Amino acid sequence: MNNNNENPMAAQQDNSASVYPQQNSNPVPLTQQEGGSAYPQQTVSPSSYPQQESSAPLYTQKESGSAYTQQDQMYGGESVSAIPLLQLNDLCKRYPGMGSYMSVFHMNLIIPRGRIIGLLGPNGCGKSTLIKMINGLLTPTCGNVLINGLNPCAATKKVISYLPERTYLDNSMKVSQMVGYFADFYEDFSTEKAFQMLGALGINTEARLKTLSKGTKEKVQLILVMSRHADLYILDEPIAGVDPAARDYILRTIITNYNPGSTILLSTHLISDIENILDDVIFMKNGSLMLYTSVDAIRSQMGKSVDTYFREVYAC
Amino acid sequence: MLGKLFKYEWKGLRFPMLIMLIVLAGTTVLTCSVIVTINPKFDETLTWYSVMALMLSIFLYYFGIIGCSLGVMLTIAIRFYKTCYTDQGYLTHTLPVSTQKILNVKLISSVAAILFLILAVAVSLLVIANVGVNHILSIAIAESNGYLTDTADLRRLFFQELSSALSEFETELGISLGTYIVYLVVYFIIAIIANTVTILGCVSLGQLYTKHRIIGAIAAYFVVQFILKILGYIASIPMYSKLMRADMYYEEYTAFGLMSPTMDLALFFSVVVAVIMYFINLHMLTKKLNLE
Repeated sequence: MNNNNENPMAAQQDNSASVYPQQNSNPVPLTQQEGGSAYPQQTVSPSSYPQQESSAPLYTQKESGSAYTQQDQMYGGESVSAIPLLQLNDLCKRYPGMGSYMSVFHMNLIIPRGRIIGLLGPNGCGKSTLIKMINGLLTPTCGNVLINGLNPCAATKKVISYLPERTYLDNSMKVSQMVGYFADFYEDFSTEKAFQMLGALGINTEARLKTLSKGTKEKVQLILVMSRHADLYILDEPIAGVDPAARDYILRTIITNYNPGSTILLSTHLISDIENILDDVIFMKNGSLMLYTSVDAIRSQMGKSVDTYFREVYAC
Repeated sequence: MLGKLFKYEWKGLRFPMLIMLIVLAGTTVLTCSVIVTINPKFDETLTWYSVMALMLSIFLYYFGIIGCSLGVMLTIAIRFYKTCYTDQGYLTHTLPVSTQKILNVKLISSVAAILFLILAVAVSLLVIANVGVNHILSIAIAESNGYLTDTADLRRLFFQELSSALSEFETELGISLGTYIVYLVVYFIIAIIANTVTILGCVSLGQLYTKHRIIGAIAAYFVVQFILKILGYIASIPMYSKLMRADMYYEEYTAFGLMSPTMDLALFFSVVVAVIMYFINLHMLTKKLNLE
């Protein structure tokens, strides 16, 4: 591990810039870090985001560039505040004992509502660290995370449904007890929906979690997470440890339980499996944001699938 | 939400608590059974075996109590570690509840579990004492060859003796027995709370040593205990000073007058350490949380 401040983008950070990843230009600069000068895409502004011509909510940036006009957006008749769902401001994380190396390096990002976004990058690029900071499981070294305009707290945890990459349920509990646990703590949890999905998969709700296989536990976790009616779903490697058939089920579960007013942030390495469900992708490298663009933009402008493009960008 | 946190905390603690209660009940029943087998009518060998069995059962009972005390502390520490710092921490810390509430609920549940166990030990001691006294009285009746027919008079005599012994104790102590018991109960409740906060704080401090978190927690515990020992020595200065004065200037002190300043000072130090540990714990859970 590099103990010096050697984030390759360190010299290129320009937080005053308000440059959305340039979809109309060749995103090849992603691989041009050595030069040190051609790496522009660090700060993502929502003002230029709507290039995707999609249903993404419009955030209009005031001329001063410091605030966003709050417009109410409508999703299926529901009024949703135009305060950004998720906003990262100059976010950094340095772990103790890592010297000056930052796992997340001055990230600026705004995530709107109603999108399925892939958070992609190689191992150790800072995806999980970023996700933990959004969930309030890590405290940023500098900068801040705002969810619906609030720093991570009990109120923000009410609106985030988080699936960690770990098996995090209490193994001594039965599946039905775990459903009860979620129903007790999360007002937006649907017990009916959870039991329906568990039944569809043939999971015995009276079985203790310790008796289930790893794959089944992961399915139970996903069902619990997707049975909530949250604003933001954060799924960290949801398909990493399961067989291809289960992957299909998981992806179907994500799509079918997805509320159009919500956003799903999905971190994975298995891009080919998920790229068909993604609206946007975020590429990360060495703790920094490389690219935030729509899947359609990559396909139309690069003429490649996200998977192929990812392999090119992160070629060893 | 607080009620739900308590509900699940208690659910997590109830199984190990049940095991400890079964152990306590088992050793209590065994001790009582051995007590009632002692009979002076036995020949010398049988009486010897009987007394040996009683001593063994008392040892067993003693170790049962020690085991339960250690068991409950370990259960609390392990549960706190498991639910806050292992994979289960992802669930605990993403609940829509503030970290302070989570810590407070864990603390209150742990103290309640310890107090419950202490109450169970007190009940068990009362049962053993009652069985012992009844057995001695029944032997006395049997040995009186019909002179005594019921235990009422003997009981009255027994309690008269006990009462006189207690009044002597009160004179030595310098305060009434009731006041002393209330003082001790309050003292031990505060000490239990302080001790629990300190243990949970040590578990959190151990997380700073990210590669070996459990060893870190144990090391933190020994460091804190070392500090408390030093403070304990400082707290004993008033007692030794009074003892010296009593020796040199023939000043007279009651036992309570001698002990209470030291006990109060030791308790004060424990509370100060506990308050510091509480805020360290909160800081670790909010600012230094680093789940694997």
